[in-house]
Amino acid sequence: MTRSQRRHAAAAVRYAALTLWALIVAFPLYWMVSTSFKPSDQWFSWPPVWFPSPPTLENYRDVWLGTTSVAAGGQYAMEMQTPFLALRNTLLLAFGATTLAVLYGSIIAYGVSRYRLLSEVRMFQLLMLRMVPPIVIVAPLSLYYSYIGLLDSMFGLGVLYFLSSLPYAVWMTKSFIDEVPREVEQAAEILGASRWRTIFEVVLPLIRSGLVATFMFILILNWSEYLLALILSKTHVVTLPVELSKYEGSTEGRLFGRQAALSVGITVPLMIVGILIRKHLARGFSFGMVRR
Amino acid sequence: MAEVLAGAVPAGTAAGRREVSRSRAVRRFKWIILLPLLLTLFSLLIPVLLLQLYFSFHQWTVYLSSWWNADFVAFDIFASVFTDPRFGWALLRSLAFAGGSTIGCFVFGFLLAYLIYRPFRGQALYYALFILPMLTVPIVIAYTGQMLLDRSGPLNGILSRLSGHDVQVLWLSNPDIALLTVTLLDIWNWTPFSFIIMLAGLASLPKEPIEAAQILGASSWRIFLEVQLPLLRPVILLALILRFLDAMGAFPIIWALLQGGPGTATETLGIYIYITTWQDFNVSLGAAQSYITMVMMVVIVLGAIQLLRKEKRSLDQMYAKPAEAGEAG
Repeated sequence: MTRSQRRHAAAAVRYAALTLWALIVAFPLYWMVSTSFKPSDQWFSWPPVWFPSPPTLENYRDVWLGTTSVAAGGQYAMEMQTPFLALRNTLLLAFGATTLAVLYGSIIAYGVSRYRLLSEVRMFQLLMLRMVPPIVIVAPLSLYYSYIGLLDSMFGLGVLYFLSSLPYAVWMTKSFIDEVPREVEQAAEILGASRWRTIFEVVLPLIRSGLVATFMFILILNWSEYLLALILSKTHVVTLPVELSKYEGSTEGRLFGRQAALSVGITVPLMIVGILIRKHLARGFSFGMVRR
Repeated sequence: MAEVLAGAVPAGTAAGRREVSRSRAVRRFKWIILLPLLLTLFSLLIPVLLLQLYFSFHQWTVYLSSWWNADFVAFDIFASVFTDPRFGWALLRSLAFAGGSTIGCFVFGFLLAYLIYRPFRGQALYYALFILPMLTVPIVIAYTGQMLLDRSGPLNGILSRLSGHDVQVLWLSNPDIALLTVTLLDIWNWTPFSFIIMLAGLASLPKEPIEAAQILGASSWRIFLEVQLPLLRPVILLALILRFLDAMGAFPIIWALLQGGPGTATETLGIYIYITTWQDFNVSLGAAQSYITMVMMVVIVLGAIQLLRKEKRSLDQMYAKPAEAGEAG
């Protein structure tokens, strides 16, 4: 084989391998989307129905408008609530906790970067808030919460989302602040700006795009959280991931089409956000230790 | 540089006083920043950890009324956890799940990153597609997996078409393969994590040693083994450690899909604790199980942190700009 033949063969192998993986990635997502457009008799059948025929918007209408569908079984479908309450809760929780975490995290990060607020060891200990899985304390936590009246409350859940995303916020924003030259702040200080003004009017505006990336990254994590929301909420603070599991366990079987329709609604915003910050995902997930 | 230190400046002079008041202001600034975090942590974590200890030493279930009157039983509950084979199996399953997911994600992620890291046509499209599983809500993956993996679902449908006769693998209800199935789902979910970390590592490798090796006529396999792989060591360890820790706490996919079943085939530590506490309502046993799991996880995390600290230093050196490095040296 000549050199150029070999290069062509290598390129072909590469495209083949990448395309195979692309299919593995895409197929489950395709199945979710296609099921959301299928009428109920095509949710399960052997052989499987590969394309919804004819495609229907019935599932989306049922989920979001709460209209009962005869095919899905009358009385159960009537009991279902529309997921707007869950959507509102998820939006409030995710945006609230994420905003607080990024704002507070970036102030801590500034203190660490410029004043050694936390030593290197302490910074790593901060990671434990994220790395020790919440299941190990969630039982006494729910008792404590019911005792102090925070069970099934937005505040109670929000505080936990805030705390568990704080390590990401501190580490990620610190990696951006470290890249800001100190001369800028020194100039501000000489001009008489206080420390707080330096933070809010000089440093944070300089890392604006980094703050947005951090915000979106943590939003993804808080949006998809399941365990804490499942255990610490009862009826009021239901979030979208918990709402999704309600389509389970009915007498006439699972409402797969509706569930898929809601899944699409939960997932698509996250994918858009994630693709917008695709260049920062490595930095986020590695706590700023790996950069591009 | 000694003059900068407050102690080195003679007290009483104007400069000295200014220095002292500055260091005092800095200290106050630091405390103001930290105070909200410390308050939240103390008001939340301390009572919770105390409660957990209390329940681990006092026999209480929700069927008894007042938890503060529960009987003190010393180490009985801990002893029953340690002698419970189900707990041991749950630990093994957690380790198998996390280990399998870590290795699977790493192998696929690294392979894909290596195939994609040099620019080629379609690179951006493949990249955007490959990160999608990580951006999917885990609970959605669980329910989509339930449709895909059903006995008469599309996965068996595809396998039947490819093999030419009816394949009906019981992905979810066969206890022998259920743990493997959820591990594979987790690998599908988190391969993008290893992929983006390894891609970032490959992209930031210095060009000179690779070019030098090419000029010397080394094959790309030898360049990979002897130049790139050693340079990637910190990134590889990072990808492995972070993935393993995350997988040890995995809950949503296993729970939503199988609740630890069939039987106890997919009952990991997290699932077992959940079942003990919220299905059997045995709060004390659940507390002791969580306590032991917590201590174990803290030990693992502390060990991981030691490793990460070392690797972070070499990473920071890698990212430090040559000019800065010259200044520091």
